[in-house]
Amino acid sequence: MVDGDVDPFGEGVPPESSGRNVGGESPEIDPESISDEATIHDDETELERTIGLTGGLAIGIGTMIGAGIFVFPGLAAGNAGPAAALSFAIGGVIALLVALPASELATAMPRSGGGYFFVSRSMGTAYGSVVGLGLWLGLIFASAFYLVGLGHYAAAVFAEVGLIFSVSPVVPLGLVFGVALTGLSIGGTENTAKIQNLVVGILLVILTLFLTYGSLNALGVFGRETAPEAFFPKGVFSVFSTAALVFTSYLGFAQVATVAGDIQKPSRNLPLAMVGSVLVVAVFYIVTIFVATSAFGADRLSEFGETAMVEVAREFVGRPGAVAILLAGLLATFSSANASILSASRTVYALSRDALLPKKASEINLRYGTPHVALLAAGGPILLLVATGQVEVLAEVASFLHLIMYGLICVAVIALRRRDPPWYEPSYRIPVVPALPAVGAAASFGLVAFMRPASIGIGIGVMLISYLWYRYYAGTVTLKGAF
Amino acid sequence: MHEKPTILLPVRILEGESLPEGTGKLLSNVRVLLLGYHVVPEQTAPGQMQMQFEDRAQDRLAELESALESAGATVETRLVFTHEGQKTIDRMIYEHGCLAVLVPDMVRDLDDVLVPIRGTVGVDRLVRVVTGLFADTDASITLFHVAEPDETDEDARTLLDGVADRLTDVGIDEERIRLTIRRGDGALDSITEAAESADAIVMGETDPSIATFVFGMPAEKVADRFVGPVFIVQRERPDGIERD
Repeated sequence: MVDGDVDPFGEGVPPESSGRNVGGESPEIDPESISDEATIHDDETELERTIGLTGGLAIGIGTMIGAGIFVFPGLAAGNAGPAAALSFAIGGVIALLVALPASELATAMPRSGGGYFFVSRSMGTAYGSVVGLGLWLGLIFASAFYLVGLGHYAAAVFAEVGLIFSVSPVVPLGLVFGVALTGLSIGGTENTAKIQNLVVGILLVILTLFLTYGSLNALGVFGRETAPEAFFPKGVFSVFSTAALVFTSYLGFAQVATVAGDIQKPSRNLPLAMVGSVLVVAVFYIVTIFVATSAFGADRLSEFGETAMVEVAREFVGRPGAVAILLAGLLATFSSANASILSASRTVYALSRDALLPKKASEINLRYGTPHVALLAAGGPILLLVATGQVEVLAEVASFLHLIMYGLICVAVIALRRRDPPWYEPSYRIPVVPALPAVGAAASFGLVAFMRPASIGIGIGVMLISYLWYRYYAGTVTLKGAF
Repeated sequence: MHEKPTILLPVRILEGESLPEGTGKLLSNVRVLLLGYHVVPEQTAPGQMQMQFEDRAQDRLAELESALESAGATVETRLVFTHEGQKTIDRMIYEHGCLAVLVPDMVRDLDDVLVPIRGTVGVDRLVRVVTGLFADTDASITLFHVAEPDETDEDARTLLDGVADRLTDVGIDEERIRLTIRRGDGALDSITEAAESADAIVMGETDPSIATFVFGMPAEKVADRFVGPVFIVQRERPDGIERD
């Protein structure tokens, strides 16, 4: 084992991760080499890379397209009026500012674990633990948020067929879907990736048709009056606070990096999938808000709440439109929730591989070949959070925890460029360093300031607990980049 | 002396799949790429599976390797955790220039080898596999062709003679080679029927087409129906294939 820095010529033994946690476990050894099609350990064991560019894009888009279109339009329009489109644009710009540095890191470290892996390897174990545990909990908050959204859509389906309940069925439905998803992922769903690609394809088709029609309509092509109103009815501050709220819609691109170890030709496909998926969904979001606010005006839109898009579609094409959007909303929120639960389980694996959580946590059961402990560890807390039914707080805490990580990703790029360790050889280098990542970091941390105090409080609490956990459980573990 | 072809032998290493009796003897004259692989469900990271089961898989692979080596084969091993078994097998064929994949099955006495031939495409690789495997044995080799309706007996005969000449050129005794031409039934049924008296089959894979995607590769179907080892000779892999 080597302490301190890497030898200046980069020819000796690379520094290894070292130390032990309370349970006496050490970090796993890093692979010998990484090729386009496999990761090779000790020249003997290989891990096949099986996700192509389409699959990577589907993970990114599939995780993201749910919230921004099918949950937020009503809420966002209520907060910021038509300027909510600007909020989504701000979110998209920040996501892009982070996706670029994340792409550089991903091409230098094409390993599963995503943002956690980048930060822990470049800034040390303490930052890594806070980010890793924070990412895990952030994904749990995000999954819970998607499941509540799914609950709203499922409830809207019941309302559509005329079933009325005395109590709102939203939370119970979210819980049922939460249990079902956890069970499905433990029991071994076959071909989840193929289904994901299909779902994303169907969604994009429905949305493109709907938004094209809606935009033409909003621009007056069909001779219809749009609701005229002020662009900033609630002032400029509301635009930023809404951007902070809806930023959850952009968390998905980082999920691509959590499966980086499975992606073929990572140096090409990872950046393309991350940046590409952010661009695609940003366009869809902005157009959606534009269409939705021109159809009804922001105030009426916000009265429709989480399923406002269904009413927008009904306004345009009647019942068939409403049914199509209901279906799309179910698919989208379901696929987002599913992707987040799986990413949460991948994060547990990344943490236990590095001895920051017990190895037991990523144990695989022989019957199904699935990590049941990690999946249950995600599913359990998700159900607790779904039970709160607090869409906005769940979304903001998820955003908060991700934004901290995103800011640190930007800082990590600056730090690595400055230190320039021999193993750091990204095949994609972002331009304008350090200005661009510095703006990214400032924007990420800055957006946090616009959140409601409750969300900030919960987020800081999570970070504090993560840090204390690290000090107690894995204080001597050091993680180093070695590729 | 002929060049030793590389034959890929894929084994689902953690599922207790073992090598059928006689496999070592069958492969004693060739280079074997023994691929131990394990298919990981999509919701599990391959690395996670590796962390827990690598040692067990390596031990098992080493056992199989020494069994093959003691029968005289030259063996190289690879262990891969993958989401898609077929992708891994394809990559191994490509990276190691494997001429054929063995679908193993029990074999006792190697008296008769059936070699179905479709046309002139790929004959070169077929001949190299047959020579590599069986030149130094006593097995008789049946070159088998199912003629198309518009194909004359003469054409069919010319095709098989050509292959037979190639085999005798590399030193296989003419007396060991038999030629059979069939007409009528579908190729698949004819091959399965002829295979009843055979101990092993060497046949080419067909080009993937819509029909093979829907119904599976004919070679794989033969392997399913036939009780005995089947060598599936691989198409030439184009250089620098694009996979996204």
